[in-house]
Amino acid sequence: MVTDATSKQLFTGLVLTKNMEFVDDLLTFEELGSYLKSQGCHVANLSSLEFSVKNGIGGCLRSILRQFLMITLDAADVSILATWYREQGSCNNPVVIIIEDLERCCGSVLSDFIIMLSEWVLKIPVVLIMGIATTLDAPKSILQSNALHHLCPCKFILGTPLERMDAVVEAVLVKQCSGFGISHKVAVFMRNYFVSQDGTITSFIRALKIACAQHFFVEPLSFMLWFLLGDDNLMLQGEKYGLSPEMMLKHALSLPSCQSIGSDKIATKQHGETIVNGLAELKKLQCQWSIVILCLYEAGKCDKVTLLDLFCEALDPDSFKSRAPDNGGGLENDSGVSSRDCYKHQQYHTTRNSGFICQAVQKLRDLPAVQICKLLKGWEKYTVNVPQIHEKVKKLLSEVKSEDGKGSGQDLSTISKRHASRKHLKIEDSKAVNEKAAKLLESMVRNYMQPLECAAFHEIVCFKNVNALQTALIGDPRRRIQVDLLEVQNIIQCSCCSSSSNALLPSMHDSSILYTLAQEHGDLINLHDWYQSFKSVVLRLSNKGKRGPNYSPSPKKRKATTKPAKPSEASIQARFCRAVTELQITGLLRMPSKRRPDYVQRVAFGL
Amino acid sequence: MEINDGEEEEFEFSRNYFLAKELAGSGKKSTLKISDINVVDEQELRAAAANIEPKHEKEINSLVNSYKRLYPKWAFELRCGFGLLMYGFGSKKVLIEDFASTALTEYSVVVINGYLQSINLKQVIIALAEIWWDDLKTKRRTSSGVSSKVQQPFNSRSMDDLLAFLHESDVEENDSFVCVVVHNIDGPGLRDSESQQYLAQLASCSHIRIVASVDNVNAPLLWDKKMVHTQFNWCWYHIPTFAPYNVEGTFFPLILAHSSTAQKYQLSHPDEEGMPVDALYTIARERFLVSSQVTLNSHLTEFKDHELVKTRRHSDGQDCLHIPLAADALEKVAF
Repeated sequence: MVTDATSKQLFTGLVLTKNMEFVDDLLTFEELGSYLKSQGCHVANLSSLEFSVKNGIGGCLRSILRQFLMITLDAADVSILATWYREQGSCNNPVVIIIEDLERCCGSVLSDFIIMLSEWVLKIPVVLIMGIATTLDAPKSILQSNALHHLCPCKFILGTPLERMDAVVEAVLVKQCSGFGISHKVAVFMRNYFVSQDGTITSFIRALKIACAQHFFVEPLSFMLWFLLGDDNLMLQGEKYGLSPEMMLKHALSLPSCQSIGSDKIATKQHGETIVNGLAELKKLQCQWSIVILCLYEAGKCDKVTLLDLFCEALDPDSFKSRAPDNGGGLENDSGVSSRDCYKHQQYHTTRNSGFICQAVQKLRDLPAVQICKLLKGWEKYTVNVPQIHEKVKKLLSEVKSEDGKGSGQDLSTISKRHASRKHLKIEDSKAVNEKAAKLLESMVRNYMQPLECAAFHEIVCFKNVNALQTALIGDPRRRIQVDLLEVQNIIQCSCCSSSSNALLPSMHDSSILYTLAQEHGDLINLHDWYQSFKSVVLRLSNKGKRGPNYSPSPKKRKATTKPAKPSEASIQARFCRAVTELQITGLLRMPSKRRPDYVQRVAFGL
Repeated sequence: MEINDGEEEEFEFSRNYFLAKELAGSGKKSTLKISDINVVDEQELRAAAANIEPKHEKEINSLVNSYKRLYPKWAFELRCGFGLLMYGFGSKKVLIEDFASTALTEYSVVVINGYLQSINLKQVIIALAEIWWDDLKTKRRTSSGVSSKVQQPFNSRSMDDLLAFLHESDVEENDSFVCVVVHNIDGPGLRDSESQQYLAQLASCSHIRIVASVDNVNAPLLWDKKMVHTQFNWCWYHIPTFAPYNVEGTFFPLILAHSSTAQKYQLSHPDEEGMPVDALYTIARERFLVSSQVTLNSHLTEFKDHELVKTRRHSDGQDCLHIPLAADALEKVAF
């Protein structure tokens, strides 16, 4: 019996996602699926939608068969899956079924599914992977006990969203996988959007993709990113994209960052080389910049400084300028200035009053010797491509090692005898090393961490238009549609409606008049009153047109005006009706209810 | 400080709300009724509504034309795999169709009119699958000449199958897709969550791109983060046109034309016992007031519950509706 029970067990990976945002996990599981596929596994992804009472166990099977066999059968049966698996030949590759969100599945359907799979496990070797958003107890509370003991679980824990974010920033933005970069403002916007608004890495990546698309569309020389990736043949490529060398030169030299260098320095015939050299310099600067950030990140890690924060601060051209050597500014001088300005939305770092870079450097001074040594080894690896820094790191590391060597080489008895004084000495020594490391890092920041925006030709690779990104990423229909209505004249730029006063003019768009009038009402608008005020605005038209600017709106005089231009009652009513309908389409009004047949209700209050 | 700005904004929002509430409560509430407006005859109103003189035609035209410079960008973004979502006041139907017919000529385009009352998405997706299938056949014939495997007819396939077909990952066809234009993706026929789920799944298919418009200020509430970030993948565009919502508004009743059909019938046929239910249904349907007998009945039940309408059995056995008011009182209510 016992062997029977164990042989019917399913290996199950319980993946604790530790995340409120299951959107990010969808991506994780999708990528896990493709990775496992590349390793030869047969992978099917199931979502909680498939484990519903309505679909039952047949729904899950159908979905699995569709994913493996590319067919849909009305009578889905697990034996079909078994036959298919046998036909695949090799029995070394398991079937992996990924269930993204355990907590959202219907417990009974999932239990039946597990029991069914366990009965077939000898013919179809199945590995289950289940995403769990809450705690490890979740399977116990969701699954029936007879299903539960068919599972042979193994626990996996994913990183927190912030850890994952740092990994993304490191791989994509710091290590320059593509050469594409973003400006300080764009970085701060994206960081704030992640921290204070959306909170999903998916949307951060999406924002980055939008930025890429916009940049590639707007910047004709963006194809030169190939050069930064190591393809030196860029002049030839320009023609491939329909750009003549002359056009490319003209464009490149008209870039603001290039003009600041002074075109007089550049001899005309060397233009082609100028771009190549400029880009090579850009590449070098970027490489140094990213190395310094990674070193800072290593140092700041112990103090929970995130790479995202460091990244944003390190992109800031102003703080770079302020700490430039010829500016006499050290790191202390810029402490706080940049970070306070940039991170207005800072909510989770409320106690920080100095910059993250400063914080990371400061942390170095407090680190114990063992960690300093570990840290320097990390730096040694990072800096291997920049000999100037690498040498210094190696030198410091050798100093630390020799200090250590001295310590461990001592006779034990002498140590105990001179314990107190030695301890004091050691502290002194390590303090000195800490100070040296901090000084080294400071000099690295000062000399090698030049933000992208301070380099010539950076426009070719750097996306800067934060407004374009923001409007494409976050639509704001609630505010923008109201603004459209309240400020039509600014958008259509007509000559007739723009007046200095805010008075409603009859030539304005009907819906706009009506919506502006609605602002004067409470949450309920009496249709009769609304219509009357609309009518009086509309009727001002014909009179004003006839009377000229000195027209006085006295009702007696109004009667005296000539009739023909006056819109008919029917047409005013029709216009009123259509304007109401248009406001109804925008959802800014709730229509009269049976209880309040004479009132419409306002939905939006303020922009 | 922007934190304060945010708080301020929020505070202002709530203050506005309470001010509006207060205004409604404290101020002398107007008790005038719609019936106090001298509403013209419904036929005349409809005729007038059909002939409203457009304002700012020239400016609107040049505004809409100014968006044409964005066409190449939109087409580029579609090719990059994004969906386009257009918003802003005014009908965007003409603009989007112009974009599709001028900038997307190399792709097949299918239009869904979300402003209609009901839309059969299954049929749409079958049509899309057929179009994509045709596209594939033409491409394969011209490129490699490989004939594809025989397919089961699309109209007998399940929704999941159709979506899977449109999502098949085929590297060589990476840059081709069928474009789906959805006017008013927030419209009445698509507003339910099932339709939105299907549209989101459709949008995430590798061979489908969506260009959609929204008009309702609350449209984003239709979607959760999964739909927004992983399926629709919208690039938002604010493109107010101020063009009249001619087609989109067809199905909305004119607010001043509330006079009910039964009322009029009773007044014009004083000797009869009431209005036959099916006659009312026919008229109500013609005027787009109800779309089915069931909806009409639900309205009628409400009216009956409040004794606004009573049922009489006509001498020929048919149910007739009448309003229990004298002719003069009825006249007051009606006009």
